[in-house]
Amino acid sequence: MAKPERRLGGRRREALWAALALPGIVWLALFFVVPFYVILGVAFGTVDPTFQTPRPTWNPLDWNTQAFDFVIDGLVSRGGVFRHVFLRTLVYVAISVVLSLAIAYPVAYFVARFGGRWKGLLLLGLIAPFFISYLMRMLAWINLLQDDGWVNDVLLWIGILDAPRNWLDGRASSVILGMVYGYVPFMILPLYAFLDRIDRSLLDAARDLGASPLQAFRLVTLPLSVPAILAGCVIIALPMFGDYYTPDLLSGSPKTSLVGNQINLYIRGGQQIPVGAALVIVLMLLLAFLLAYYVFATARAQRRLSG
Amino acid sequence: MATFHPREWRYARREFLQRGAAGAFALSSMGTLLAACGGGGNGEFKPPELLLARPDNPVTHPLFDDNPLIASGLEPESGTLRIYNWNGYLWPRAMKNFGKEYGVKVELTTFSTMDEAIAKISSGAVDFDVFFPTPDRMSRLVVGKLLQPLNHDYLPNLAKTVWPSVQDPFYDKGSRYTVPYTIYTTGIGYRADKVTTTPDKLSNPYDIYWDESLKGKMFLLDDGREAPVHMLFRNGITDVNTENPDHLELAKNELKSLIDAVNVKLSTDDYSHVPEGRAWVHQMWSGSAVSAPSYLPEGTGTEVLGYWFPSDGRGSIGNDTIAIPRAAKNPVLAHYFLNYLLDEKHGYDNFANYVGYQPPFVTLDPDRLVTDEIVPANLKSAVVRESDFDTGYFQLELTPEGQTLWQVAWAEFKAGG
Repeated sequence: MAKPERRLGGRRREALWAALALPGIVWLALFFVVPFYVILGVAFGTVDPTFQTPRPTWNPLDWNTQAFDFVIDGLVSRGGVFRHVFLRTLVYVAISVVLSLAIAYPVAYFVARFGGRWKGLLLLGLIAPFFISYLMRMLAWINLLQDDGWVNDVLLWIGILDAPRNWLDGRASSVILGMVYGYVPFMILPLYAFLDRIDRSLLDAARDLGASPLQAFRLVTLPLSVPAILAGCVIIALPMFGDYYTPDLLSGSPKTSLVGNQINLYIRGGQQIPVGAALVIVLMLLLAFLLAYYVFATARAQRRLSG
Repeated sequence: MATFHPREWRYARREFLQRGAAGAFALSSMGTLLAACGGGGNGEFKPPELLLARPDNPVTHPLFDDNPLIASGLEPESGTLRIYNWNGYLWPRAMKNFGKEYGVKVELTTFSTMDEAIAKISSGAVDFDVFFPTPDRMSRLVVGKLLQPLNHDYLPNLAKTVWPSVQDPFYDKGSRYTVPYTIYTTGIGYRADKVTTTPDKLSNPYDIYWDESLKGKMFLLDDGREAPVHMLFRNGITDVNTENPDHLELAKNELKSLIDAVNVKLSTDDYSHVPEGRAWVHQMWSGSAVSAPSYLPEGTGTEVLGYWFPSDGRGSIGNDTIAIPRAAKNPVLAHYFLNYLLDEKHGYDNFANYVGYQPPFVTLDPDRLVTDEIVPANLKSAVVRESDFDTGYFQLELTPEGQTLWQVAWAEFKAGG
């Protein structure tokens, strides 16, 4: 890519560009930095014993680490409470992300490559169900999955099942199904946007040089789409980590509860709101770690592509 | 303690949607909440002494010079009456009719947990006229001076319609700050046509929760007090306000054993899960049992429903109250509204047409409700009797340490270790 040409008065122009970042900075400060500090204050603070409202501690020198100690202990000690939940959440999210990718990639690929003039319509069709709120769609799944619901009807009709199965008996697969269904469009969109931009002439060149269609896909399309795959994974993994209503609605069993459920439990009331806030921060650290990997991995993928 | 509550029953799902949406803002609203409580520092704050009421330790709440009751004989204000209540816990027509009678507007705001409500009221940012607190927060509300004392001159219906024992309840002797609203028990609801045995046939009725034929169809209330309490009952412990760590450990282990035995599930949709067949056994609030028939699929008779509560009345019982916040803008009108809901006819209509949780009225006995076809005969045990108030076990206010003990046990069970 050519560098933008430097002209006279460039410095003033630079100041202008910097100024344009101001709204973004203010936005971040107002809606990220300040709330984040509030959560820190709550996590290291106390609770009003009369009204049970959190009394955040603003001065880091006065921070009370009791809630954090409790959370860390639950994470590292053998058989710790939070360890199970974090592990379960990691596993559920990982499986859901992989499944989402397995569904989203072919769909996005098909629309981008073969959609032709129907592209817009196909995309709209894919996204249309998602104009309905996430919770409404989960509630719809309850009806589909219940004993006399359509899922059982269809499976019985095909002959896969002999008797209706209780999909809502608190099984992990139903929760994962809900998460995949709920978030898959957010995977399709970035994949589609990326795949659609892949230069066809690169594929033609690969074919000209003797690659089979499969080889062309494996050696050209797939490596090119790595950044999009990573972006899609991050986009859906982040909200999945905070999900608590999918397991609540589609399972309700303690066996499928996630970190979000524990946070919700502690934040909703009582004397231990700081524990809820500390869980939020631990979860954020974990996500920050994953995001750092994402930044690193995309940078590497870009380098590879341009190198 | 993060408690759900029977009041969530009717609109639990709708409320859940709102909560889900609100969840996205939970963190930012926490910020406002914090800002509102003035960003306290550390340590220097000495909490006022809480008076923890128990049936054998009745509490007369103190009056404060700076929180006087209103004078007698005042005319009701003409401003908008602002009500703060659980969702779906007041018949809309009752509000409309009251407004018409007194020529005022009535406005309802809802909350989803008692802690959320108290946080909002204590922030001083709101000035509701009528509030529906639970007795398990009574002392906090009084010592925090969030409620104003009631002037009984405006409440003649209290003595006329309400069970004598609840006119002068142990948690608020003399009804200084509250009047009773509803009363309910917590028992076991079931589908009589699906279960292999019913609680009343077992030597220990609570054993039914471990019945392996119920796998995937057994629910406990998603409530950090209610569910552990039935675990204690199973083991003969009736101190439902225990702060003995051994008791909580026991309750927690009992709960956890249900995960493997029947893959226990948690919900507060008892009123619909049982009639719709999603649950065959569900720990249940009596008010949910009363409303369950209306959720039965068409063509299914009410005889498939069952509700068990110990016939000797030695089970879990609770009640709700109505109060007037100290900051009320229309305190006289609010007194009139309290008296209105305590009126025999209005209170009955509110219960029978909408709420499903009965007011503790002298005229409401099980036989009458069956005759009136409000409750089918096989759910008669869901009607609370006055004697239950004396024999039942109330879940009441705990010390902060006790609350933490309960919550940690509950959270550990919910994590599903």
